[in-house]
Amino acid sequence: MARPDRIAFVCPRYAGEGAVGGAETLLKNLAIHAAAAGIPVDFLTTCAQSHHTWENNLPAGVKTTDGLQVHFFPTDARDVPRFLRIQQSIDRGRPVSETDELFWLRNGVYSSALLAHLDRHATDYRAILLGPYLFGLSYFAALAHPRQALLVPCLHDEPFARLTCMKRLFSETAGCLFNSQDERELAMELFTFPAAKSRIVGMGLDPFAVDSTAFARRHGLTAPYVLYSGRREPLKGTPLLCDYMQTFRERSRRDVKLVFTGSGTIDAPPALRPHLFDAGFVSETEKHEAMAGAIAFLHPSVNESFGIVLLEAFLARTPGLVHARSRVLVSQCRASGAGLWFRHYPDFENQLLWLLDHPEARAALGSRGHDFVAREYAWPVIERKFMEALDAFAPRRA
Amino acid sequence: MSENSILSIGAPGFNVDRLVADLQATADRKMKAGVYADARVARAEKTNLVNLRGSDDFVSFYLTCLREAVFVDISDFEIHERRRFFTPLLVAFKKAIWKILKFYTYRLWSQQNQINGLIITGLEGMEEQTAARLAALEQRLARLEQQASGHGSP
Repeated sequence: MARPDRIAFVCPRYAGEGAVGGAETLLKNLAIHAAAAGIPVDFLTTCAQSHHTWENNLPAGVKTTDGLQVHFFPTDARDVPRFLRIQQSIDRGRPVSETDELFWLRNGVYSSALLAHLDRHATDYRAILLGPYLFGLSYFAALAHPRQALLVPCLHDEPFARLTCMKRLFSETAGCLFNSQDERELAMELFTFPAAKSRIVGMGLDPFAVDSTAFARRHGLTAPYVLYSGRREPLKGTPLLCDYMQTFRERSRRDVKLVFTGSGTIDAPPALRPHLFDAGFVSETEKHEAMAGAIAFLHPSVNESFGIVLLEAFLARTPGLVHARSRVLVSQCRASGAGLWFRHYPDFENQLLWLLDHPEARAALGSRGHDFVAREYAWPVIERKFMEALDAFAPRRA
Repeated sequence: MSENSILSIGAPGFNVDRLVADLQATADRKMKAGVYADARVARAEKTNLVNLRGSDDFVSFYLTCLREAVFVDISDFEIHERRRFFTPLLVAFKKAIWKILKFYTYRLWSQQNQINGLIITGLEGMEEQTAARLAALEQRLARLEQQASGHGSP
C-alpha cells in the first residue's frame, strides 16, 4: 500500500497568534518550509495562547495562514491545584510516582479533540512531528502513534527531563530531530535510544537588512543599550539580567539602557526602571532593528535547546553575551566566534565593559556571527537536513 | 588581558575561547584583589547562586560580598522632597517623624544588625571548616591512592 505524503505537526500553540516561544516558532517554520517544498502539511494545535493558563482564547476550527492549514482544537479542563503541587515536587527534585507524572502531563496542556482527530486521520499521515517533549499533548500524541511520531524535543537539562515516563517517549518514537549536537548529547545521557534514530536539524534563518539606528530613533533612545528578546520569566533568567544591569549601572557609572522585546512581566529593581525600556511584542522587523542597534544581545537563560534569538542577533551583526552554564548557547558563541559567556557578575561586568570599550572588536564579532548564521543556518541547508530525516524515519513506500 | 588579543580579533587565527579565557582571568584577578567585594554584587548574584553550586571559590567570594551587605545602614540621612509645593514643610514633617521614631527603629535595626553579623560569622566559620576538612580528606585520599599504587606495583 502506498504511504501518504501528507505530514502533520502537533504543537500546543501556534506561534504568532498572540503566542511567542522558541519551540513554537521552530515547528511553525519547519512546517512552512515543508509546505513550500511541496509536502502537504496539517498543523494541529490548540486554541490556547497563554502557556500559563492554557485557556481557549482562539476560535476552534481550520484556518489557512502562512501557507498552512492550521487546525485549532480546544484544550481540556485541568486540575490546576494538583498539577501545581506535582510540578512543585518535580521542580524540587522530590520523588514523584509514575501515576503522578502522567497526571501532571495530562493536566498541563491536553486536547482530547486533537487526539481524536489524530486517531481518525493517523493513516493519512506519513509522519507526525511533535514537540516540545514536556507537554502532555505531544507526549500522548506521540505514544498513541509511535511508528509515525518524529519528536522535536527541544530538550533542556531540567527536572522534567528526568521523569521516568520520558524514557518511554524517547525510546518508542520513530525518530528524534534535535536542534544541536549538545541537545542530542544531553538526550543520550538521559535516555536510551540508538544514535541512528536521531538527526540534527534545527531551524533556518532568513538573512535580513535593517537600519541599525531605526529602533533607537523611533523610541528616543539616546544612550547605548543592551537587548533581551523573548519570554520574560525566571526560567529564562530575566530577573538575573535586571539585577546584573542595575549593579552594572551603579558600579560602572555607564549610562547603558536595558531594552526588552517579547511578552511577560519584568521583575526589575525600582532603581533600574527609568533605564529599562520594554518595547513589548514587536514585529519581526522591529525586533531585528532593535538587535542591530544593540551593543550586545544578552541571553541569561541556562535552559535552552536552541538559541533562535541569539542566532537572529548574530544575523543582525550584534555579538552575544550568554550564561556560561548554558551549553547550547556557549556552543553557538564558540562555533560562531561571535559571543562571550559569563559565569557570574564579575565576568559580566568585565565582558560588557570590554564590549563597550572596543567598538571595532564588537563589530568584528558581529560580522563573524552574521557570516556563521548565513552559512550554517540558511534555509536550504536546514531543508536538506529535514528531508533527509523525514526519508530516514518515515520513508515513502512505492 | 593583553592588548594583542584585542588587536588580533579579526585575524584568521582568532579564537573566542582565548578571548573569554583572558577576560575571565582578568575577572578572577580582580576578584582576588577585592574589586568586587561589594554589597551590590552580593545582591546581583542572588538568582545566580543556584548556577554556581559547582564552583569552590565562589562561595568564599560570595561570603566576602555578603559581609559588605550584611549591616543595615541606620545612620541619619539627607531627607529630600520631590513634590513642588510645601517642600520645606514636608521636609520638616519627615524629619520630625524620623526623630520621633528613632528610639524605636534604632533598637530594632541594631538588633537586626547583630543577628546578621552573627549569621555571616557562622556561615564563614562553616565554610572555612568545610574547606579545611575537604582539603584534609583530599590529602588523605591522595596518600591512600599513592600507597595503593605502591602496593600494587611489583
